[in-house]
Amino acid sequence: MFVEILIFIIKLLFLTLFGTWFTIGVSLLYRSRRKHHLNKIETAFAEITSRYLYPLPGEPFDLVRANRSFRKLGIIPGKPGNVQYLIDLMIRTQRSLLGKNYDKLELLYGQIPPYRASQKKLRSKKWHVKARGLREIYEMDQNQYLKEVMREINHENIYVRREAQIAMVVFLGWESFRFIPYLKREMSLWQQIKVVEKLHDLYPIANIKYLKKAYNSEKPYATEFIMRIIRKFELHEEIDFIIKHLDSPNFDTREAAIYCISSFKLSQKQLVKLKSKFMNVGNVEQQVQLLKYINHISGQVDIAFFKLLLYTGNDILKLCAAEILWSHECLEEVEEFYYQQYAVKPQPA
Amino acid sequence: MKKALIIQEDIIILRIMERLMLLNSYNCKAIRTISDLNIEDQAEDFDIIISEILFDGIAPLDFVFQIQEIIAHKSLIIVTNMGQDRIKNEILNTNKVEGFFAVPFDLDRIQKLIA
Repeated sequence: MFVEILIFIIKLLFLTLFGTWFTIGVSLLYRSRRKHHLNKIETAFAEITSRYLYPLPGEPFDLVRANRSFRKLGIIPGKPGNVQYLIDLMIRTQRSLLGKNYDKLELLYGQIPPYRASQKKLRSKKWHVKARGLREIYEMDQNQYLKEVMREINHENIYVRREAQIAMVVFLGWESFRFIPYLKREMSLWQQIKVVEKLHDLYPIANIKYLKKAYNSEKPYATEFIMRIIRKFELHEEIDFIIKHLDSPNFDTREAAIYCISSFKLSQKQLVKLKSKFMNVGNVEQQVQLLKYINHISGQVDIAFFKLLLYTGNDILKLCAAEILWSHECLEEVEEFYYQQYAVKPQPA
Repeated sequence: MKKALIIQEDIIILRIMERLMLLNSYNCKAIRTISDLNIEDQAEDFDIIISEILFDGIAPLDFVFQIQEIIAHKSLIIVTNMGQDRIKNEILNTNKVEGFFAVPFDLDRIQKLIA
């Protein structure tokens, strides 16, 4: 009985082993065929794109033939894997080229399959499919879908609304800021950075008219976002907006304001304004950061301001102010403060 | 007819550039990696080489120096995916290349160089 059970277990193990080998074999075969097929699609796409961009004299580009060869390679709605691969190739190619070839490719992409594949993705209920569809639409500059994109800027999923917001910036540039006051959901830091970078890549010349329309938005993320834009585009004339938010009750807004103002040099008037806001900053760490910044940008040390801090600030601020005064060789002021702490003046040994 | 050698791993860029060279009446050899080079290529004297700089087992700067010794050519243009400023400056400072293009680039500018 025992032997029989043992033989049965051994047989079962062998069966599992052979089963695993068989599966590995089939998978290897499938993968190598699949790779071969994808390479064929890539080569065909390369051939078609090059013929389209640089047709030889007497050999005009034949769109019908190109579409036929795509169909032959399985670029049909029933095979979404192939279609997706082609879309990725299209995006990659368009991202590598600039100038008139970029515009020519955009024209070509409107005429070859996959027709409306990205637009169909927008109707999907899965967030990742939707986000991918949005990304494809803006990467391929298909601005005819602007309306569909606009619907998604307040989507509950962070990735979907991020892609939709980037798409708006890609299509409309600075004009897209008109929509900031209408955003209903949080815009994460990463999201803000992505949008600012995209804007800088595509529309490097600032159009403040549209940016100003967003100034009245009360949402903290909108304020942070505007400050980041002011910093990125070095909009010196808009520095007052950053200074205005230095004493905001929101910690993150103050943090963003301090970060953004650090890359600017201020005029005398702005510096005075900044100093008047200084005492309202609600966090000592941030006050120290600001003090260092004030010291860094002012040519001459403002003795009255730092002296005032020596007598009114908290201990950390006092220390920082003393350090700054000391490093500017205002020894008398620091010593005077030091000795006044003691009722009896210590006698030197 | 002038002779050109193109080395690009991305087959789409390779084909597009091959057509560009053909249109500008070059006799063009287009390959995807340096390992596709053969012994006859060393005997050739190319008018122009358009190459990537990222290859297995060789640093970008070394490649620029070594290709000088291996294959005779009149001018070298770099077209690459790696557009870091440091690498670009290092390579341009060698004075061995006619142009350095990192993606995304405008093919019209390359056309001006080869015309």
